[in-house]
Amino acid sequence: MPIAIYCLNRLVQLIPVLIGITLIAFLLLRVMPGDPATLILGSRGTAADIAKLNAQLGLDQPLWRQYLLFLKDIATGSFGESIAYKASVGPLIWERLWPTIWLVLFSTVMAVVLTVPLALLAAVRRGSVADAGIKLFFIVAMSMPSFWLGILLVLLLSIVVPVFPVSGYGDTILERLHHLVLPSLVIALATAALTVRSLRSSVIAVLSADYVDTARSKGLRSRQVLWRHVLRNSLMSTISVLGVHTSWVIGGTVVIETLFGIPGLGSLLVSSISARDYPMVQGLTVTFAVLVVLINLLTDLAYVAVDPRVKLS
Amino acid sequence: MTFFKKSTVLATVAMSLSLAALGVEAKTLRVGVSNDALSMDPIASSDNPSIMTQLLIYDQLVHPSKDGTKLEPGLAESWKVSADGKEYRFTLRSNAKFSNGRTVTAADVVYSLKRAAGEKSQWGRFFRPITSYEIVDDRTVVMKLDQPFTPMLNNLALFSASILPAALMEEQGEKFFDKPVGAGPFVLEQWNRGAKQVFTRNSNYWKEGKPAIDGAELQIIGEDNSRVLKLKAGELDAIVGVPFNQVASLKSDNSLNVGIAPVFRAELVQLNTSKKPFDDERIRRALNYAVDKDALVKGILRGNGRVATSSLPVMAYHNDDLKPYPYDVAKAKSLLQEAGYSGGLKLTLLVPSGSVTHRQVASAIQANLREAGVAVELQTIEASSMFSTTKAGNYEMALSYTTSDTIDPDQLVGFTAVNPERANAFHTQWKDARVNELYELERRTLDGPDRGKMFQEIESRVHDGAPFIFLYNQAETFASRKNVEGFQVLPTSNYSLEDVTVK
Repeated sequence: MPIAIYCLNRLVQLIPVLIGITLIAFLLLRVMPGDPATLILGSRGTAADIAKLNAQLGLDQPLWRQYLLFLKDIATGSFGESIAYKASVGPLIWERLWPTIWLVLFSTVMAVVLTVPLALLAAVRRGSVADAGIKLFFIVAMSMPSFWLGILLVLLLSIVVPVFPVSGYGDTILERLHHLVLPSLVIALATAALTVRSLRSSVIAVLSADYVDTARSKGLRSRQVLWRHVLRNSLMSTISVLGVHTSWVIGGTVVIETLFGIPGLGSLLVSSISARDYPMVQGLTVTFAVLVVLINLLTDLAYVAVDPRVKLS
Repeated sequence: MTFFKKSTVLATVAMSLSLAALGVEAKTLRVGVSNDALSMDPIASSDNPSIMTQLLIYDQLVHPSKDGTKLEPGLAESWKVSADGKEYRFTLRSNAKFSNGRTVTAADVVYSLKRAAGEKSQWGRFFRPITSYEIVDDRTVVMKLDQPFTPMLNNLALFSASILPAALMEEQGEKFFDKPVGAGPFVLEQWNRGAKQVFTRNSNYWKEGKPAIDGAELQIIGEDNSRVLKLKAGELDAIVGVPFNQVASLKSDNSLNVGIAPVFRAELVQLNTSKKPFDDERIRRALNYAVDKDALVKGILRGNGRVATSSLPVMAYHNDDLKPYPYDVAKAKSLLQEAGYSGGLKLTLLVPSGSVTHRQVASAIQANLREAGVAVELQTIEASSMFSTTKAGNYEMALSYTTSDTIDPDQLVGFTAVNPERANAFHTQWKDARVNELYELERRTLDGPDRGKMFQEIESRVHDGAPFIFLYNQAETFASRKNVEGFQVLPTSNYSLEDVTVK
């Protein structure tokens, strides 16, 4: 199947998934105790004030009607009006989407750059000091809570040796990359802790395969064998791990975003849930769902790129 | 012009010329705050970050004084309240201008206040007592009330009473708030949501020579430690909110100034008096005796606060004669025994999740009450559902707090002590006929010692009736670098930047 049609197919399959997700998000929000009007008026509102505000927000309508209105808002791309921000949800999410995407991209690249050489080294020198050292390093990195690791890195690389800014996001692309190094590194270390182990064990398995011996015996240099034959054949399971982990990172960066003051989607989601900003939470849920589906699609395409035997179907 | 004035003017001119010649860069103050604003519409905001930004860009007729005890002239240079309290006459400053250069007129005042009292306003109740307006001339406006309502003047100092340019708002509608124009000291130049707000000096601001800085930048940094680290690294000039356990170490840092602001806030435990055993005043008093508030202030706030005597923070008309309930386990036990609970009690305490301080306080209360023979089960609840849960009466005890939006105690009295009122004594359902009577009376009495006595009596009745365990008044902490002068958090929790200088 041509790749464009395949992608299109996958995106069409997204529609029922999205309808399911919007329905769940919509209903879950409504059963949560606490409503926006009470939260907004708090100590100032009488029961009548609260009822009036709820009516202004359209929350006095029957649920099925609210849901249909929400679907209509999605279709027009505005995603409705945020209760807290008093502005269209769509543009607000769009603005906060980019820091998250940059963070995810940058940290994934970093994780790959860390993983490949370290996993190969650990596998080739299995049982050596280097192998044990790499294992120990990532066990420590993985067991340290990310905010703690973040604070330590900031103390070391922003205060003691001021190379990177403590926090913030920056205005130009270069500034942003500079600001994103530390937060991406924290995420990348957690990701690499998983991928290094997975890649190391696959490489070890592949190293003992017959075709590796064949490659060696036909006179290829060991570096060529390693990169061309061993690595390519070992990558499949690591790509799955990376894909799953990256999907998780998209919604799970809130701690890192808060710690490093990055205006991304995670912190927006948490504050919107606290404020019971129904339209914003619904919009964010849809956004996250789309991103996760896209990452799964990219993961599948990566399989094809690595292994020509995999067919798109 | 006297010689002195002339020479200062000359000196200023000379200095600014030489500064310009030297190419000195504009002085911008970078402040780190924990949360971003949501909206710039003053009638549709209730979160502190939005309020604080609005107070930087908009101006009101009157302002709270820096110590939060009285009102000072703002856009109105003077005002007069008639003897029967039913007529307020304001005279606007002749040099009061919006940042676009247009003069602030009586028509702007009437438009803005009518909007604040309107259907869409979340603060309507605060302005609806004004029943009619009269524009005498461009600079004079008279407001009439059907009956005297003394808190009115304080309400006019609220951010929600900000004066907006009527003509521009009419023309732009809600779009106005994308690029708001106000008469305050600063202009919001750029707003990257979730990241920062950039302000420039409003050169049309009525207060001569203010603001002293050319601009300001509010950077949103949610994490307390990051904010402190950024200040230390010199990436920020000032921060609001220093974790209590870091105040001491920052104080010993020679490059920083640390400040403690007594803000209008009271931490308390709501007691549901519609449920047994809290219907018994002796039990409620016993609980107050059983909690070691001094230890909370010392251990958890690290001394940055004071023990509370009632549900009202220390503000205007505070009753200084009241003493906090002392920590007295024996007294607590004897009161419990008197009430027939010598065999011990089992109670539940709702604790909002997300706040580390509140979790620590809850554990301390649990340990204290155990000594008095009361077993407490802690129930953690998501902070946003707390208010609706206590409102519905589904609780025994709940750890909470109150803050005041105005400098007048009326708002918090109405919220925490009066029943029936909008919150029925902050959901405790406690009822005191005399408090209700004094509340009605206080609102009709002109400001002065008589009104003060009413508030003091209310406060003392709340103290004795003990519908809450009164815990403490927690201070707000802030810090700035040594080259910054005049940065402080005010009792109303906002920070005025117009007097700040950066060296």
